[in-house]
Amino acid sequence: MTRAKLPPWLVLLLPAIVIILAVVMVPLLLSLYSSFTPYHLTRPETLWKWIGTFNYVKAATDPNFWRAFGRTVLLLTIALNLEMLLGLGLALMVSKVTQGQRLLRTAMMFPMMFSPILVGFQFKFIFNDNVGLVNNALQSLGLTERAIPWLVDGNLALFAIIMAEVWTSTSVFAILILAGLFALPQDPLEAAKVDGCTPWQSFRYVTLPFLMPFIYIAMAIRSLDVARAYDIVQVMTNGGPARRTELLWTLIGRTGYVDARMGYANAMGYIAILLSIAFTVYFFRKLQSARRELGMAD
Amino acid sequence: MASASQHRLRKRLLRVAHLTGLFLAMCVICLPGLWVVLNSFRPTVEIMAKPPVWVPQSLSLDHYRAMFGGAGEGGIPVLTYFRNSLIVSVTSTLIALLVGMAGGYAFARYKFKGKAAMFVALMASRAVPGVALSLPLFIIFGRTGIIDTHFGLILVYVSMNVPFTIWLIDGFFRQVPKELAEAAEIDGCTRWQAFWRVEFPVARAGIASAGIFAFLTSWNEYALASQLTRSANSKTMPVGLLDFTSQFTLNWGGMCALAVLMIIPALALTFLVQKHLIAGLTFGGVKG
Amino acid sequence: MKGPMAGSVLALLAGFGFATAALADGEFAGVTVEAKLIGGQQYEALYARIADWEKATGAKVKIISQKNHFELDKEYKADIAAGTTNWCVGSNHSSFASQYPSLYTDLAPLLPAETVAGFVPANIKAATIEGKLVMLPRAQFDVSALYYQKSLYTDPAKAEAFKAKFGYDLAPPETWDQFRDQAMFFAAPPNFYGTQYAGKDEAINGRFYELVVANGGKMFNDDWTPAFNSDAGKQALQWFVDLYKAGAVPPGTTNYLWDDLGNGFASGTVALNLDWPGWSGFFNDPASSKLAGNVGVAPAPQGSAGVRTGWSGFHGFSVTENCATKEAAASLVDFLTNEDSQKLESAAGPLPSRTAVWDHVIAEAKSDPYKSEVLAAFQETAKTAFPVPPTPYWIESGNLIFPELQAAILGDKTVDQALEDASDAVEELMRENGVI
Repeated sequence: MTRAKLPPWLVLLLPAIVIILAVVMVPLLLSLYSSFTPYHLTRPETLWKWIGTFNYVKAATDPNFWRAFGRTVLLLTIALNLEMLLGLGLALMVSKVTQGQRLLRTAMMFPMMFSPILVGFQFKFIFNDNVGLVNNALQSLGLTERAIPWLVDGNLALFAIIMAEVWTSTSVFAILILAGLFALPQDPLEAAKVDGCTPWQSFRYVTLPFLMPFIYIAMAIRSLDVARAYDIVQVMTNGGPARRTELLWTLIGRTGYVDARMGYANAMGYIAILLSIAFTVYFFRKLQSARRELGMAD
Repeated sequence: MASASQHRLRKRLLRVAHLTGLFLAMCVICLPGLWVVLNSFRPTVEIMAKPPVWVPQSLSLDHYRAMFGGAGEGGIPVLTYFRNSLIVSVTSTLIALLVGMAGGYAFARYKFKGKAAMFVALMASRAVPGVALSLPLFIIFGRTGIIDTHFGLILVYVSMNVPFTIWLIDGFFRQVPKELAEAAEIDGCTRWQAFWRVEFPVARAGIASAGIFAFLTSWNEYALASQLTRSANSKTMPVGLLDFTSQFTLNWGGMCALAVLMIIPALALTFLVQKHLIAGLTFGGVKG
Repeated sequence: MKGPMAGSVLALLAGFGFATAALADGEFAGVTVEAKLIGGQQYEALYARIADWEKATGAKVKIISQKNHFELDKEYKADIAAGTTNWCVGSNHSSFASQYPSLYTDLAPLLPAETVAGFVPANIKAATIEGKLVMLPRAQFDVSALYYQKSLYTDPAKAEAFKAKFGYDLAPPETWDQFRDQAMFFAAPPNFYGTQYAGKDEAINGRFYELVVANGGKMFNDDWTPAFNSDAGKQALQWFVDLYKAGAVPPGTTNYLWDDLGNGFASGTVALNLDWPGWSGFFNDPASSKLAGNVGVAPAPQGSAGVRTGWSGFHGFSVTENCATKEAAASLVDFLTNEDSQKLESAAGPLPSRTAVWDHVIAEAKSDPYKSEVLAAFQETAKTAFPVPPTPYWIESGNLIFPELQAAILGDKTVDQALEDASDAVEELMRENGVI
């Protein structure tokens, strides 16, 4: 039996490793290779022409690329922090409710049932300047006379996209933080009360440190699949108008599939992958140190 | 006395503030979603009206009727899409859980070289954006003939869900003191039996929460599915939403009707397992 | 790499041997034709007829893909990249067709000459790329005409005010200058707008392109260097800029696509709307539109060169170069675009691409004044319609042009600056690809 020679941990991990190698690593190597070629989808022969780092140089010297890069980092930073704060608030409120918890928690997760592509269409209609829900409501309430161009003005459009993103993803934070609140040991809280701490103090010095690992977990999970926002942005603005909401994903998607310039798109893609891995590793570090402080680490 | 009633008053005020806040938050969460549900029952002329129609004038099942109608009358193969979605999501979730349990057990119970690095590498694999994967996957799937099949899509979703599943389940297995399992083995159980009797029951909640996340991811995924499915053979419901768009038109009411059919099963499932979900997340993530 | 070779040998055989596609009983018994057909509610009624073709020929059709055109376009590109192009029949679109020069075969040798002669000649010309007839048009011909709210033109107070301001009688616009005047005149934001335009992606490019042509200019010179940075081009872009600046269009217009336009006009908040024939039924249907009964349709206005705008396109079906059963595939394509098929499809509203079917739908609509008005306006516009420039780089150059157009419309750049930047970017693209 040759299998017996493999250590048991490897046997157990093998399915996971094989499947991830096949579905993630092999395609990634293929696209890594193609990023060094002028690969054009409709002309397959271009795959065999090596052009070195031409695509990378082109991306690195393209101001449109760097603007999209900067905007993506900005969007991620704002969205993740906002989701964290709102999620925390929501979880605190829900945890205090004694009756109807089950229904409330399900309602809290309602937005998670919406496919990102649907969310894109939904918010595109909600923020339509002429017949959209938001402008109609503002005008009916007499708050504004104007039709606010939500999806056109650079800042408003980014705001609208962040709203859509926050709406879908705050639930993930809320549910994880809620889990943390349920696990919160009562003794230190009681002790704090006896010591005469105000509710704010006991929240700040007892509850919050305990919740931090949960928050970082949520951050890490979200940074893992935040690229899902691609569907939302693509439908809502597709990076426009005049590149005001261009993000890395929309730029790459358009270059690769609509312009068919896969080589160049993959070069930009690699830079984007490094960005998301950096985010992930950063939150893992934070998670580790938060665990250590609580003495939960290995 | 005064201070006591003052205290009571403050408490009552706080309670009112809490309930109001909660109510407002729930409104913000639910309204955009309920708007979609409402639109599925309204004629287009009312949805896009200006001046707006706030109180629905006419509600009907027209969009649903059209959707289940024949080709040419606005019908789309809803039931086929539904079946595809169900097969793909359920199977990929189950496989991801099995693979994740094996992987999580390995991380929790064995010490080996490069463990931390491998763990992070597994997680990072999830960070690769779908846009970067879709074309190479398409080429590989096309060459091996698994494009537009359930199998191909299941494979992709399993790989998407395995990292997170491993992570959650790993944390659970660590809850179980090693001695407990060892004691069971001494009592004459095989390691396999010990696993099912001692370790698995503790991890059940974690598995439930990993399962619901995996299910929702597969159920709602669009970017990769739109590339890897082509016909009614394997098209899932999120891809089916695009059937309501043509070059120049978009049937938003119809799209909402299909969306409602997507949301209901997901919501029902979440309602059923959400208790485990909370418990699962509580221990799984943090104590690992 | 042997695919194209085998394909051309087959095409040669086909050219010599089987220059017919008439249906004979059981002619293709045992053959399975794999097809990728455009999906979506309005396109699928036609596919119900496939069963009749199967019965007549003994062949089977297997639909292996059904998506909208943008998704299908991605799929074709990926197919070419993966070398998986041995399916047979594909939905095609005249605006996309030139992107896949090697994918589809020449249909002319596979079909009798009289079949091809039955189509509107301009459509056949637009379906011919580099001498190859790459597709047969179905009854989904698109060109834009001007929809307007009739009641605006019957109000004497408005007519008087208009005449006093602009010095000519108020009537549905004949030229793009009148179109601009009237759009500004009717606008009363935020509740009512003079007009609107699709402001992004291929849509704004197409509108810009047709206006450049109507003003006597062109997008490309004969050697494919960009030619739109001209007086005609500046005049065209200025039109969009003026309306935006004057607030005569909804402020969100640069983010609109076709569906937003249709819904906006149907909501009754837009006076004039240059739009596609597919909406004609929608606009006049009380269940979907507030304007039912109040919709007028006029031919597209003329630009400064006296030419009507007429950016047009149509759906069609193609047969791949690598298809093993080209005769059967061509027979299916013929069937899906024959007179009966076109009659079926155009009964629901879309415009036909066969001369005889045009006559048929006009005769059918006689008793329906609205439908007659629609058909007359679109037929007049179709007479001088033109397709997109036949370059594989049309879409790609468009992706470089439209952000610059938007920048000018929103005031980020001047018209001159925007067109110069767009022209430079397109020139670099053409150079990088060895076109110039």
